[in-house]
Amino acid sequence: MSGSFLASDFRNTFENCILFVVRVVLKYRHCDGNLCIKVTDDVVCLLYRTDQAQDVKKIEKFHSQLMRLMVAKESRSAAMETD
Amino acid sequence: MVLLESEQFLTELTRLFQKCRTSGSVFIVFNTDDGRTKPVPRKGHIEGFEPADNKCLLRATDGKKKISTVVSSKEVNKFQMAYSNLLRANMDGLKKKDKKSKNKKSKATQ
Repeated sequence: MSGSFLASDFRNTFENCILFVVRVVLKYRHCDGNLCIKVTDDVVCLLYRTDQAQDVKKIEKFHSQLMRLMVAKESRSAAMETD
Repeated sequence: MVLLESEQFLTELTRLFQKCRTSGSVFIVFNTDDGRTKPVPRKGHIEGFEPADNKCLLRATDGKKKISTVVSSKEVNKFQMAYSNLLRANMDGLKKKDKKSKNKKSKATQ
């Protein structure tokens, strides 16, 4: 996977297309050494696959942000300001 | 599907990761949780039910064993710290970028 997670289209597309996060799936295969994150709002589905260790921290941070988004009552833009 | 407390969920999740080191995948899914226990009828609505919007359902599986937990906004901070540490500690089998970064550094100094 070229480029980093933050700089990738995934992040940009997420902010532009996903209105309300319905489901997030994280798949990790240690034997194959890859990690995959999928975010969907049941209209648009975004998928990011990586085998780079440098992406783990960023994906995990993003994953935490999504969790906070889901649990928070405030609007989405306010929650994403912590980025 | 086993519904666990947050701490127990984290312990079991660690076990799932350890079990799947040699083969298999670990799937972690999370959705919003309304707190509903009954299905919504086709006509009308469930009486006395107000959908909650401050909870999320976290599920994990290795294809065979299933575990789950519900996280609310009150416990999200504490849970998230432990959960993040767990993920970072267990997802360590990915490729590390050594040669490319060394080349970039040498180019930068020139």
